[in-house]
Amino acid sequence: MATDEKRAELIAKLRNAVIQYDEDASKEAAQEALTEGMDANDAIFNGLVSGMEEVGRMFEAQEYFVPEMLMCADALYAGLDILKPHVKQLDLGVKGSVVIGTVEGDVHDIGKNIVKMMFDVAGFTVYDLGRDVPLDKFVEEQMKTDSDLVCLSAMMTTTMTGMKKVVDDLRKKNPNVKIMLGGAPVSQDVADKYGADGYAKDATNALKDAINMIASLKKMKDEVEAQKAK
Amino acid sequence: MKTSLKRELLDHGATVVGIAGLRGYLSGEIAHLDRAVSIAVDRGLNEDTLSLLTKLQKRTVRFLKARGHRTLAIPPDSDRKKGTFISKLYSLFNHKMAATSGGLGWIGKNGLLISPQHGPRLSLATVLTDAPLRPDVPIEQCQCEECALCIEHCPSKAITGAQWSRSSPFVELVRLKECRGHKSSKRQTTGKPNCGLCINICPYGRRETEVRSAEFGVRNK
Repeated sequence: MATDEKRAELIAKLRNAVIQYDEDASKEAAQEALTEGMDANDAIFNGLVSGMEEVGRMFEAQEYFVPEMLMCADALYAGLDILKPHVKQLDLGVKGSVVIGTVEGDVHDIGKNIVKMMFDVAGFTVYDLGRDVPLDKFVEEQMKTDSDLVCLSAMMTTTMTGMKKVVDDLRKKNPNVKIMLGGAPVSQDVADKYGADGYAKDATNALKDAINMIASLKKMKDEVEAQKAK
Repeated sequence: MKTSLKRELLDHGATVVGIAGLRGYLSGEIAHLDRAVSIAVDRGLNEDTLSLLTKLQKRTVRFLKARGHRTLAIPPDSDRKKGTFISKLYSLFNHKMAATSGGLGWIGKNGLLISPQHGPRLSLATVLTDAPLRPDVPIEQCQCEECALCIEHCPSKAITGAQWSRSSPFVELVRLKECRGHKSSKRQTTGKPNCGLCINICPYGRRETEVRSAEFGVRNK
């Protein structure tokens, strides 16, 4: 096991690698964390994700713009790829699997990919259908994988209307599935009208929401661990 | 800062380095990174050129970041880099635009960057940044003048002969369909898509060995 001092140093390294969008540094720090015997979950959540939280803040404060945020996400993935095989599955009491994709006719998937990354980080099993996904495919994939969450993304008002059909079809087959909508033209009104459970306005907000989600996951994880300790 | 960056890159193997001022030329997502460091290496288009360019690019990024500036490195083989988030933005930018704006050369009739000293024989990498580097003097138009060697030697007759200038950047210089068609039929016969006659024949920066091999290639047609 790594000493407290070493752990703090590695956490800072991972965090800064993401903030500084330095892929090489991220890989290096992740490798070092493994060599030092550091817990992979600890490295991911308190290092990489904590860095990405700061990036989200900087993005909101307009210190960072889209290219920097994307490069930060790449740096996070670079470290995550190394750490992920060593993650112990979190016992959260929720079965985390999600179907995600950009709806038919739409090829804009940057926002979708960032949301996907957050699910990846959180240890969800992600079934990524990609972009320009035929509407039936969402329902089919949800049935096949028995996922509890379906995330739909659209960038254009013309393709957004396809979401309604997916929501309706999903509800018919499986009333319990949770559905999240995202993308520039979507609003809370649209989400309500279409009968979805949640919505994220755009890549920025999706990122923020996803970060909130991970923060609450972290809390749940801490609670689970606290209970175990008792 | 500009002089020391240039010296560092030239010391480590760059052939030419130019600084481009791109205010007003970039699309919204990357508009805040309005300076470009255009790094050129005289090739062989081989693995060495690519890895040298990548190293020089990383050096530039380190140099600028260490001084507190933002950077976006566009890799030399940006069209082959996929699967990262940032790769989606590579298509917003064009190495040749940075090179002409940074005074490295102009766009020749063959559609390639022509440097006065090195001709169309430079490989490019770019680092966009918000560092306040003083831009070099841009080159605004084609300086090929009457030369038509590449037009005459093009086996697929793809070169239109139009002249590039910054004020009319969308003129068709090369009929890409013809050029690609030739390259893919070449791939079927020789296993390699390489043509490159318009590079070999260009008198700017030409070396004797290349002249001979180019003429030999043409005579064999």
